[in-house]
Amino acid sequence: MDKAPGRADTRLRSGCLGSEVPALLLRPPETAGPGGAYIADRMANFLLKCLNLWLTEIEKSVESTPDRQRSHVCWSSAMKEAISLVQKLSAHPDSRCWFVSWSPSGALLASCGGDKAIRIWGQEGDSWVCKNVLQDGHQRTVRKVAWSPCGNYLASASFDATTCIWKKKNDDFESLTVLEGHENEVKCVAWAPSGTLLATCSRDKSVWVWEVDEEDEYECVTVVNSHTQDVKHVVWHPTQELLASASYDNNICIYKEEDDDWECRATLQGHTSTVWSLCFDVTGQRLASCSDDRTVKIWKEYPSESGDLSWKCVCTLSGYHGRTVYDIAWCRLTGALATACGDDAIRVFREDLAAHADEPVFSLAAQVKKAHCQDVNCVAWNPKEAGLLASCSDDGDIAIWRFQEED
Amino acid sequence: MEMPGVHPADDLFDSIILADEKFRGEGYQEGFEKGTRRGLQDGRRHGASHGAKLSSEISFYYGFAVTWKCLLQQSTDDKSRKRVKALDAVLALIQNCNLDDPQSEKLQDETEKLRAKFRQVCSMLNIPTDFRDYIKVAEGTSF
Repeated sequence: MDKAPGRADTRLRSGCLGSEVPALLLRPPETAGPGGAYIADRMANFLLKCLNLWLTEIEKSVESTPDRQRSHVCWSSAMKEAISLVQKLSAHPDSRCWFVSWSPSGALLASCGGDKAIRIWGQEGDSWVCKNVLQDGHQRTVRKVAWSPCGNYLASASFDATTCIWKKKNDDFESLTVLEGHENEVKCVAWAPSGTLLATCSRDKSVWVWEVDEEDEYECVTVVNSHTQDVKHVVWHPTQELLASASYDNNICIYKEEDDDWECRATLQGHTSTVWSLCFDVTGQRLASCSDDRTVKIWKEYPSESGDLSWKCVCTLSGYHGRTVYDIAWCRLTGALATACGDDAIRVFREDLAAHADEPVFSLAAQVKKAHCQDVNCVAWNPKEAGLLASCSDDGDIAIWRFQEED
Repeated sequence: MEMPGVHPADDLFDSIILADEKFRGEGYQEGFEKGTRRGLQDGRRHGASHGAKLSSEISFYYGFAVTWKCLLQQSTDDKSRKRVKALDAVLALIQNCNLDDPQSEKLQDETEKLRAKFRQVCSMLNIPTDFRDYIKVAEGTSF
């Protein structure tokens, strides 16, 4: 169905969008009382007008996507894969749950929210339960949490302009240090694969890189102002010391160290609104970004002569998301791409491996339309158990899902 | 512009008829000159005030860096060395700033870099960046 030919309306009438919609609108109601016939007629007329407007809109959106991208527009599909709910947890009741992060071993899940708390979840028997609550670390919303690669430290970024580092001790966590310096809300924190570098970003438009020494002392090694607006997300390359950031200025910046200082070496332009999140694939050769412009873009690194980094957009997934795409996660085990969307849905995309590397093709493999009652803020694949996906939402809940592929 | 067959007496009326045009031209010229002078004054005042602001900000960074370098120079531990290095970077950025050329395209970029470096140094020295009277912070207007 994703390659249905021709105009949107013929496709619609042929039933691609569900035949009951036009049938209902085109046939006048049979049981209209006295005087009701006129109203019914007016109603039908009005609805037809709406339908026409809607069709033109669809046509416009179809026509505005280049040919290469058109095949990605998927109206409905007989899905072979399925997502099933494992468990729902009321993680941050009466508040928002902003972010979830799996520990490197996959055994623990950390969540944070508008209630200023961080919760650690673990499995007991078949169900997930809250193991710890980390409170009093922050004065305002905790926006993101990140585990160190060794799994012994947890960093939390908060709107109170600070970043807390927590150390795991036996089964408890203690606050180790507080990183200050940002002028206002810290939006994200990320640990480099080496575990010796930490990146933070803020509404103050800057990205900071911190160095950790053996004595657990943190020192700022750089402050970079490459964005012109609020920086929403930072993420490290899986193997190199390369940092990427996403911003309200619609751009993505990629940084590299250069004589003791970090510099923006590439600016990825293409999104037409806020870029909310970023994720590298397992090799780090590609980067997926998601945006307020309701699209997902895949960027690929190309060699360049000048020595500067060259990243090009090789794929745009449009037409799937009804609202802002807030988060994206690329599974390191299966290569599946999951998205969290403001339309309350989670979606999983699979790559068509037969496609050319320079023109990758992704198709929607599965989706849960009402995954949460409100905006889905985050999705995260378990790093050890393939197909296990966690999501969290403005409704305060965490949901744990299993994505199954039928071969 | 004398047209053939036109009586010279018409010249008398010409000056009246063309007066409107003439005075408008003169008025325009006068106004233009006045405006130019006024603009120049305003521009100079604006430039001087912003130049002074920028200069005092950068001078503040300079004094800050020099003072801290003096304080740290005696210590030879690893941490102090790193801090001195960062302070040197601040001083180098000030040295290389195109302060003599207010029209330099690089000035904005260099100032931003300097501000970022200063914030890093403050973080390294555990000093709260509470110098709003001296420096520009993100919320303020650009110069």
